[in-house]
Amino acid sequence: MIISGIGWISKGKYGCVKKAVCTDYTDIKSLHSKLQNESIFLYPVKNFGRFDMTSKMSCCAGALALHDAGVKYSEKHKQDIGIISTNTDGCLKSNLNYFRDYVQTGRKLARGNLFIYTLPSSPLAEASIHFGFQGPLLYIMFPQKHIPSLLQYAEGIISRKEASTILAMKVDEKKAVCFVLRREEDTSSK
Amino acid sequence: MHAPEAVVVACDLITPYGLGIDACWNGLLSGKTAINPLDRFDTDVFQTKKAATIAELKTGQSDSLVMQMLKPLLKKASAIIPKDALLILATTTGEIDILEKQVLNAKDNADESALGCLLSKVQCLSGIRSPGIIVSAACTSSSSAIAQASAMIRSKERDCVLVVACDIVSEFVFAGFSSLMALDKDTARPFDKNRSGLSLGEAAGFVLVMSKERAIQEERSIIGEIAGWGLTNDANHMTGPSRDGSGLALAMRKALRSADISEDTVGCIAAHGTGTVYNDAMEMKAFKSVFASGTLPTYSIKGGIGHTMGAAGLVETIVALRSLREKLVPPTVNLRIADDEAEGWVSTEPDSFDNPVTVSINAGFGGVNSALVLKKLDEQQL
Repeated sequence: MIISGIGWISKGKYGCVKKAVCTDYTDIKSLHSKLQNESIFLYPVKNFGRFDMTSKMSCCAGALALHDAGVKYSEKHKQDIGIISTNTDGCLKSNLNYFRDYVQTGRKLARGNLFIYTLPSSPLAEASIHFGFQGPLLYIMFPQKHIPSLLQYAEGIISRKEASTILAMKVDEKKAVCFVLRREEDTSSK
Repeated sequence: MHAPEAVVVACDLITPYGLGIDACWNGLLSGKTAINPLDRFDTDVFQTKKAATIAELKTGQSDSLVMQMLKPLLKKASAIIPKDALLILATTTGEIDILEKQVLNAKDNADESALGCLLSKVQCLSGIRSPGIIVSAACTSSSSAIAQASAMIRSKERDCVLVVACDIVSEFVFAGFSSLMALDKDTARPFDKNRSGLSLGEAAGFVLVMSKERAIQEERSIIGEIAGWGLTNDANHMTGPSRDGSGLALAMRKALRSADISEDTVGCIAAHGTGTVYNDAMEMKAFKSVFASGTLPTYSIKGGIGHTMGAAGLVETIVALRSLREKLVPPTVNLRIADDEAEGWVSTEPDSFDNPVTVSINAGFGGVNSALVLKKLDEQQL
């Protein structure tokens, strides 16, 4: 198993490890625009403005990692690529946003568009829809050593041949890192 | 050397039919639904006033509703759970009633509703030494967790995994599903011609998955085998399934391949069967695509206990293992007139079946799909 690309986003900066890219951005809107203008997003992300922040970060970090790994993707030609993620608090902030909004509006009508992000796996689902990835999709919370545990878990999925390529990310609202992992024999032809 | 087989050596659950597998199985066979008027919170503004809840659970207690479900189950089982097992907790919202209280009354700390806190509590209850992990994949959470547990056993990464699943009916999820217009105003009628939505339900349970070798060594009784699994994603839409059922069909094909069996070996399908127009239609397309040679006995338990979300896959696995033992397909509760597409597949009556192999499937938000191949082992295989 090898890591063929890494994308990352921190406060005010984003980049790709293999391509040694490090660029400034101001906010998520500018990050989205930059990734679009630099063709790191190979096509526009539908409904990006409606995503919760973790979903936005997931899509951006995923695109950076795939760009770093040189993996092409298409919403029309779907691929058997898996996608897994982790973080420390699931979707606690999205849960609070949704339920506070519902309570503040008189407990009469919940907003469906906030409700759909009250699953820890929703950011992954948004990313998989954009990238056209049909492999396993799992949110996994590890009690400690999040990134080593995430990589080890992804390696397990690949070695068990549940997917030949995995996008593995640790994402929250402020920072993200995403790895593209592949079986070693798959890299020679790519 | 052949790969280790993943077998279920213990399981238990609590559902709206009551505590234990017998209560759930007999409830389903009775054909009576456990979906009833809900008094846990005010439902006047929602699409429906009904859900399948567990009568014994009480709000306003020191324990969350999830912990009220898990405590009796895991306390009883802790003596048979090996301390070296890996714990996998599967849920979508966990102790969401803690967050509700915080927002409504500013009483509790919302951080305590975080999934990590629940994982620690479950570890404590189970007596397992290491902290374990959480797997969440919408309504395929627990079937995905069982698939991962079985995969780890087959690859020899682990020889024993405890999968625990839970989700509750809360105002939080009820209001959300209602806003998406996903609820039937009466009770869910999976695969019915006049179905119009799902009913929410709650449940918790566990399955202890072991390598067959260790199970034999420890003289455990084997309930059934998790023979294959397949996890896929539609990559299509956040709240609606792919209309052609191709993502689910792919999951089933992967599961059959993983089990190294052909379609004609399968005796029965434990469907996801939520009762929404689109889900059930999508499933029937997937079934007809994979099992092209004819109809197969198919059932959904969601007309009985509602859609138990993250717990659904685990509950359905336990019911399917019981169904394999009894060689009996439970009726699809609340079914009146089968949809044209489901005609000949689903039934209002229990039915027998011969081939001791069931494919149990789930699908969920974001387009996730899971399929498990469950087998009854005969005496010669033990």
